[in-house]
Amino acid sequence: MIPRVMVIGGGIAGIQAALDVANSGYEVVLVERLPSIGGHMAQLSETFPTLDCSQCIMTPRTVEVGHHEQIKLMTYSEVESVAGEVGHFRVRVRRAPTYVDWDACTGCGTCQQKCPYKAESDFERGIGPRKAIYTLNPQAVPNKPVIDPDACKWLLTRAEREAEGKKPQCGACQKLCPTEAIRFDDAPAYFEEEVGAIILATGYDLMSPARLPEYGGGMVADVIDGLAFERLLASSGPTAGAVRRPSDGATPKEIVFVQCAGSRDPEHGAPYCSKICCMYTAKQAMLYKHRVHDGQAHIFYIDVRAGGKRYEEFITRGIEEGTDYLRGKVSKIYRDGEKVIVRGADTLNGKPVTLAADLVVLAMAVLPAPTRRRSPRAWASRWTPTASSSRSTTSCSRWRARGPACTWPAWRPGRRTSPKRWRRRAARRARC
Amino acid sequence: MNKSRIGVFVCHCGLNIAATVDVARVVEAVRDDPGVAYAAEYKYMCSDPGQNMIKDAVREHNLDGVVVAACSPAMHQVTFRKTVAGVGMNPYRMESANIREQVSWVHQDDPERATLKAIETVRTIVEKVRRNEPLEPIAIPVNRRALVIGGGVAGLTAALDIADAGYPVILVERADALGGKMRQLSGTYLNFDAAPDMLAKRVARVQQHPHIQVLTSAEVMALEGYVGNFTVRVSCRGTARRAQGEPADRSDTPLPPLTPKSLSHRGRGDLKSPLRVRSPSPLSGRGGQGDEGEESFTFDVGAVVVATGWDSYPMAALAEYGAGEIPDVIDYLAFERMLAPGEAIRRPSDGRTPREVVFVQCAGSRDPANGVPYCSKVCCMVVPKQAMLLAERVPGAQAYVFYTDIRSAGKNYDEYVQRAMSERHVLYLRGKVSRLFREGDRVMVWGEDTLSGQAVEIAADLVVLATPLLAAEGARELAQRLRISTDAHGFYNEAHPKLRPVETLTAGVFVAGAGQGPKDIPETVAEASGAAAKALQLFAQDHITQEPTVAVVDADLCAACGACVEACPYGARSIHPVWHVATVQAALCQGCGACVAACPNKACSVRNWTPEQILGMADLYV
Repeated sequence: MIPRVMVIGGGIAGIQAALDVANSGYEVVLVERLPSIGGHMAQLSETFPTLDCSQCIMTPRTVEVGHHEQIKLMTYSEVESVAGEVGHFRVRVRRAPTYVDWDACTGCGTCQQKCPYKAESDFERGIGPRKAIYTLNPQAVPNKPVIDPDACKWLLTRAEREAEGKKPQCGACQKLCPTEAIRFDDAPAYFEEEVGAIILATGYDLMSPARLPEYGGGMVADVIDGLAFERLLASSGPTAGAVRRPSDGATPKEIVFVQCAGSRDPEHGAPYCSKICCMYTAKQAMLYKHRVHDGQAHIFYIDVRAGGKRYEEFITRGIEEGTDYLRGKVSKIYRDGEKVIVRGADTLNGKPVTLAADLVVLAMAVLPAPTRRRSPRAWASRWTPTASSSRSTTSCSRWRARGPACTWPAWRPGRRTSPKRWRRRAARRARC
Repeated sequence: MNKSRIGVFVCHCGLNIAATVDVARVVEAVRDDPGVAYAAEYKYMCSDPGQNMIKDAVREHNLDGVVVAACSPAMHQVTFRKTVAGVGMNPYRMESANIREQVSWVHQDDPERATLKAIETVRTIVEKVRRNEPLEPIAIPVNRRALVIGGGVAGLTAALDIADAGYPVILVERADALGGKMRQLSGTYLNFDAAPDMLAKRVARVQQHPHIQVLTSAEVMALEGYVGNFTVRVSCRGTARRAQGEPADRSDTPLPPLTPKSLSHRGRGDLKSPLRVRSPSPLSGRGGQGDEGEESFTFDVGAVVVATGWDSYPMAALAEYGAGEIPDVIDYLAFERMLAPGEAIRRPSDGRTPREVVFVQCAGSRDPANGVPYCSKVCCMVVPKQAMLLAERVPGAQAYVFYTDIRSAGKNYDEYVQRAMSERHVLYLRGKVSRLFREGDRVMVWGEDTLSGQAVEIAADLVVLATPLLAAEGARELAQRLRISTDAHGFYNEAHPKLRPVETLTAGVFVAGAGQGPKDIPETVAEASGAAAKALQLFAQDHITQEPTVAVVDADLCAACGACVEACPYGARSIHPVWHVATVQAALCQGCGACVAACPNKACSVRNWTPEQILGMADLYV
């Protein structure tokens, strides 16, 4: 028997499992698909029912994992195959090419500042950008960047330019890196780990709004999913915690939250209840009210599933603070000029409801995190795959690409409003 | 002392601090203060780059003390102390200045004065650090034996998990048999038939386990000591414990000494040696015979798992539902007994088989006027299970369910409720029941269907109330004995609702199951395993480290008057019988300072909280 444990998944479940095993005196191998650990919890703004800042309560744990002598951290890696039996597994792990020598890199961040190419950030759920060389967030553990081969000019032009006998374009990071850590010729690496037990903690993903054409199918501007709204609320997010709608950067005065979007729907989505949406939607509506005092939040629900310690009281507090709960399903969401029109039914008075909202947040169904192997390039760049492979982009990227009212990609260079400006503006406001 | 080289690091905490406090101004203000050698700011001090920034500054500027102005010390002081220890600084030369909870969060409306307060706060902490001594943590040995309180499914699971890892467990149950509330259930939802069998197997395994000592009809009367070294007094009624499969002839076998090596995880290979004794007996503890056949025993344990579960709500308190007056209004535990194998569904009044049964959910729950503002969580699943069983066992029976929200949040739970509606034709009515009264041999149910907006009247044969789950009787008293806290409803408080759900604020005491809040069996079992894992983590260490910021006594000044012994709330003080001075049991001392205030000779002080430091800090503030 090998007294060594592999934990697959570096979200909060994997982090806690790894720490508990490691603190019991055993060696742990923690395998995470993304460049850094933290999972979805790193994307959240604040947590219910205490409204603790998610980063603040989780960062000590990610840091502890990073420093723990008994934990071998393998990020940007995926399990290829498992052989053997309980007590003696042989696990083959594939590490995707990072194009950065992590031993040489100090995490100074110069490359990320200077890289001229941007891409949609899956961590920001399409609300904000990242560079072609990036870490998921400033608190990343390990704080070492990777290069997205789909966005990096050097890697994209290499084959073509070398055929012409020229040097590939750009290479700014390579020129500027103070420790010469950039490795454009990086290749996947394979490792074999021997462990006695394996803990699966691969977590979840949200269903793509593309699966719900009646809710715009991800094509209507200002219809975003719950995680994207978390990024809008997060003080480390692209808007520095200011609630702005993606289409024009305006502060939404009326938000409609739609629960059970894809859940409890055997015909179109998942037949099961996604369990977390009732509480996070209540929290998001509450935080929105805290940020935009004159704003109004409406929540469409079927049942308010607040089963948990102090959960019911939290919902009651939300209602007291002015959240408007409407019992019923939303039948259609579409765009009308500046507004997003939400048509639904209020089953308590039996009448149809039509709301003109500035922003609509869909509490999309929770799906198991995809385990399907994908090509290294696709996997390196995409945070959010979905079950239906042909529509595997997030709502935001869909409407950014084709949506009619989509005139404001938050990060496109040269636009008048950019996250940087928001952040500056927010800081200015805070000072005076 | 004035030559201190202290580094000050001010954190933005995203916008938590920076939105109110002008961080740059704080840095500028303290930069040139006496003793300060370096000052800087960063967005998230607790992040990796933030911590690296501190490390680099310590090296580069040869700092001998660090002040991080950020969140409460309860949050990240440990993080930052580890950081400075990583570059060779004594961790007790680092302190947190709380400018988030005590400044930015409470003074959001006045940024100017909040900034001034932040500056003063940082200055006082700098003053404290100037006089902080470098200290070494105290190492405490661990007694590798666990106490599990409660013999329900949570307690059984926790006991088995710990015992299977090779450590002895004492399981204390108040009732005369194991199994808890789960024993009263006919079966569980989703896997109905398997559940009673699984419970019976678990009880049998616990009773036969060589590492588990079961004490039934027993209660924990007192807990003394501290993490890794608790002494617990258990009182047993009569000799009922022997009925729990503990033959009397074995109970004299003395428990072998708990040699750490033989039990340490490294020595797990030979499980046969010294612990392979059939019955670690309570008699190995210090026993004594009380009145009326009560015996009390004292054990030494290292960790405690509290799994006392829940109690049902008294029916008599639900007068508006006619409970207690109408015989055919029963609670769902009473209906569970009718559904148990070998029993028949008969109504209490005349023994007839009921055809029309009304289930009332939230009968008392989610009702602040009733004193139960919380949701009892399990009823939404128990009721469809019971309704389905009714439809199955009584052909032609019709079940009605009055509900507020259907809270079937869980794996396969929603599908289960859908099945009750579609396959068993259980009629769900969204609304409250307004009145229940008797008419002939029927119970009339007046309610409202809020979906159609119409009043509903049902002539029922039987009414089943889903009454709230309450914290187990005596939970508050037990919590006081264990020095853990409870919420307003008597449920134990966890250390953190998200990230420390099975720990309490008393180190070494863990909670599992419905004693912490209403929850169903899968959650309870998961928590029990979690609590067991936490206890095992404790046992895996050679020793525990304790904060050295404890009270010390200047023997030259101490007159052994005993004022400190009386003042100490933790029992950490005593008068040395030979030397005749006050002593401090460092492992028990929490550094509260009560003795410092009580000592008439000023012989007491708490390390790194000396009167000079506190006066120095106060001077800066006023």
